[in-house]
Amino acid sequence: MIGARAVDRELPIIQIRNCLLVTIQSELHDRFALDLQEALMERVRKVGAQGVVLDVSAVEVIDSYITRILNDIGKAVRYMGASCYIVGIRPAVAMTLIEMGVELDSVKTALNLDAALEKLELLQ
Amino acid sequence: MKTVESEIAAVLAGSISEITQRSIFKRLGGLARLPLKHLTNHDRQAILADLENSIRLFAPNKAADLVAASWRALGGDAASAGEPSGDGQPETVRKLAIEAEQDIAAARLEAWSEAVRIGLSKFASVKVATAVSELARNIVFYAGAGTIELSSRRDTKGTELRIVARDTGPGIEPQKLETIFAGTYKSERGMGKGLVAVQKLVDDFQIETRPGQGTIVSCVFRGER
Repeated sequence: MIGARAVDRELPIIQIRNCLLVTIQSELHDRFALDLQEALMERVRKVGAQGVVLDVSAVEVIDSYITRILNDIGKAVRYMGASCYIVGIRPAVAMTLIEMGVELDSVKTALNLDAALEKLELLQ
Repeated sequence: MKTVESEIAAVLAGSISEITQRSIFKRLGGLARLPLKHLTNHDRQAILADLENSIRLFAPNKAADLVAASWRALGGDAASAGEPSGDGQPETVRKLAIEAEQDIAAARLEAWSEAVRIGLSKFASVKVATAVSELARNIVFYAGAGTIELSSRRDTKGTELRIVARDTGPGIEPQKLETIFAGTYKSERGMGKGLVAVQKLVDDFQIETRPGQGTIVSCVFRGER
């Protein structure tokens, strides 16, 4: 996989005011997840972002591995002084996470993008 | 005192690991603790039907011998031994090869659509897909390659979806397995969490693993009628 790093490809990071938005649509591969985390950190620093919003409304299944990736991103964002929101968790996904006993505790959550942006603006 | 558990454990020793035996006895519940002399013929049939499934899965090469020996150990008479358990064949069986990361997503989708097809609820279908996702990930991360088999069955009692994940990878050391299920094990990529998560999601969970030989995880989801 030499030269095939996702950073080189277009990463779907959108900026809305001082907030970064990522819509997660595809499978969070190992490599992709790490690259996303790295790229996000860079952008947070560059634009002085106050918030990062990860939209998972298109994600049908969140297993313990994806949970860990999300928690890691949340922690890294927090260490950089910004807030990380996960938005759009589906009801069945939420129930499954509870049953599995895995915690999504290093990120904040909001019902949707609107709600997250509202909460972030309150923080300013 | 001779109980179902003590006698069957003696038969299975060496062929089926202790952790699997424990899950078998746990599923048998009160039956496992019954003294042999209190068993009715109906009890024996019920125990054997359940045992047979596990034995066929985890010790396929000596399944016939083990089933017959179990029957004798339970005090069953020779005449009615080896009778078919009457479970019949599962309605559909789908075998998926798991060899690379993209197979995880494919397996998840297959599992989800199979769950929907047999009429499991929306929530249950997501649980099925999540469990398969965990199992497929473990195969790719730790064993490199393996298979996931989905089989479903519908009868008067309801629907049942069985997931069997098999690999011939490095297996899991017994002590490590203990710590995984005690919740104290943490791997770098989170395998411990994955297996425990699957166990919590499913209605029945069995694992058979030998260092150097691989791992088989079998689990069942049940849906109401």
